[in-house]
Amino acid sequence: MTLGGWITMILSVGTVTLMFAWSLYKVLTTPKE
Amino acid sequence: MSQSNESWNSRLGVILAVAGSAVGLGNFLRFPGQAAQFGGGAFMLAYCVAFLIIGLPICWAEWTIGRHGGKKGFHSSPGILNSIVGHSYGKYIGILGIVIPTCIYVYYVNVEAWTLGYAVNFFMQNMEFATAEDSTGFWAGFAGLGEDGAALNFSLGSALPYLLIVFAINFYLIYHGVSKGIETFCKVAIPILLVIAVIILVRVLTLGVPDPEHPERNIANGLGYMWNPDKILLAEKQDGVWEPIAEMEELVGPEMISAAEEQVAADPENLKIIERSIWSQMTNPDLWLAAAGQIFFSISIGFGIIINYASYLRENDDVVLSGFAATSANEFCEVGLGGLITLPAAVAFLGVAGAAGGTFGLGFQVLPLVFSQMTLGWLFGGLFFFLLFLAAVTSSISMVQPVIAFIEEALDLNRKQSIGILGVITALCAMVVLYFSNGIKAIDTLDYWSGTFLIFVLAMAEIIIFSWVFGAERGVKEANRGAIVKIPHFFVYIMKYVCPLFLLTIFTLWCAKNIFGATWVGGTGEKVSYVIDLFYVPNQAAWISVTMIMLIGLFTFFLLKGSPKYKDHLKQNQNS
Repeated sequence: MTLGGWITMILSVGTVTLMFAWSLYKVLTTPKE
Repeated sequence: MSQSNESWNSRLGVILAVAGSAVGLGNFLRFPGQAAQFGGGAFMLAYCVAFLIIGLPICWAEWTIGRHGGKKGFHSSPGILNSIVGHSYGKYIGILGIVIPTCIYVYYVNVEAWTLGYAVNFFMQNMEFATAEDSTGFWAGFAGLGEDGAALNFSLGSALPYLLIVFAINFYLIYHGVSKGIETFCKVAIPILLVIAVIILVRVLTLGVPDPEHPERNIANGLGYMWNPDKILLAEKQDGVWEPIAEMEELVGPEMISAAEEQVAADPENLKIIERSIWSQMTNPDLWLAAAGQIFFSISIGFGIIINYASYLRENDDVVLSGFAATSANEFCEVGLGGLITLPAAVAFLGVAGAAGGTFGLGFQVLPLVFSQMTLGWLFGGLFFFLLFLAAVTSSISMVQPVIAFIEEALDLNRKQSIGILGVITALCAMVVLYFSNGIKAIDTLDYWSGTFLIFVLAMAEIIIFSWVFGAERGVKEANRGAIVKIPHFFVYIMKYVCPLFLLTIFTLWCAKNIFGATWVGGTGEKVSYVIDLFYVPNQAAWISVTMIMLIGLFTFFLLKGSPKYKDHLKQNQNS
């Protein structure tokens, strides 16, 4: 895999993982009204 | 009068249900193939743009429209769009929100049966293939690809018994309702699916070099095939122009490149190594079409599902974070898991040439061969197909629910009666799809016209209704009511101008290419097979599939026309 491939993979997988983790954290920690 | 009093039990429940509807075979089979075909980096850039200006806006619009319609007592897309538009044309547009999930369901349930059948056969250790011909032969026999009617037998190596089982499971879950059926199942199935995916991911990433005789077949090259932004290809001179010998056979890793260099050195006049940069790939309209199309299928926008699910929310339930969370869960499964599992594993065992294949080819020909060559392949293969099965069930039940809601609404029936009617209709249609298995023509045709063409149309109608009829400013304000995080204001402009324009452009290009056979280099190319099957060399299975779509549309139309519920609502609106 080229350096560009590593960057693409880390950025793509990292972004979606962060998005998922953040939204899950917000959903689980926000008190129900 | 039958009034639905269904609602979701918890915020997490509705998020997992919507995520479950979005997570499907496309995440693990379609996405990797598309990303590799168009060069990982270039595709991901276009994919991100499409996600931001199509995916998220339409997703939020559907959640908002759905919750708004639910507040007015509607749960089906004809009812919801009718109440948003305030004119009878709204309900006729909403017909698409019934036709699309019904038509997709009747072929999707067949593919769901394949995943269950493959899982069972892997666990029973019946799937030991030495060559690609073996796995292709099994698939052909299982799905009856060689002849119409060939899949209609009750052996464990045939699709029919599994079709009956998945039908029973789907309708059992649906029968128990939104909360006790769909929500409860998704709360269990999605975490199990994630755990299985992570187990398989760890196995795939630790594959190393499975066959020392083929050092180029390794996991690093598999990841490179999927993610390298620049494509290196071996090209040959054809009429003075350098053309890639095989578009999908990218040169990845030093072994493949040096082997290609030797070939070039032996025949420098006719062979050459060419490189396609990320930027040159970005100028290809096909890449943008593929990225936008993938976003559609992936997030389940334009299916009529999200607006139905959101209609069971309470008035001040959050839709912004919930929509974002469900979408993020889907993206995680698609990019974070699907992008690291399927193609890298296929390249590690079969090499680049062996890994190429469409969605079904990759899933039911290539991967079974990969798993059967892996240590403990029966276990990992069984787990993988069970994962696909869970993903397929959470998607297929989401296709049934909007139609059940419509039948309840339009005919004033209870859930049990509605399920009875829909069960008979979909069972007949699914059996027709199973019968016309030769070359999976029926599945292919239904997927093309209902699962691609009509989805574009409904999504475009929804975003125009949301932004221009309901009003983008008002819509975002409505979405932000009760929201834990607010939609940033610049999305008003994206929803009003950028998204419809981008969508219209993509749709026009899609029609030009896929219906009229246009090519971007100049002139018109050959007609696509779907058009040829209907008008040039009529194909019986293709015509029956299209007739099925039209009949379901007509059935929905007459139900709508005869139902007083939508007329009464408009009258009440006018009087108030």
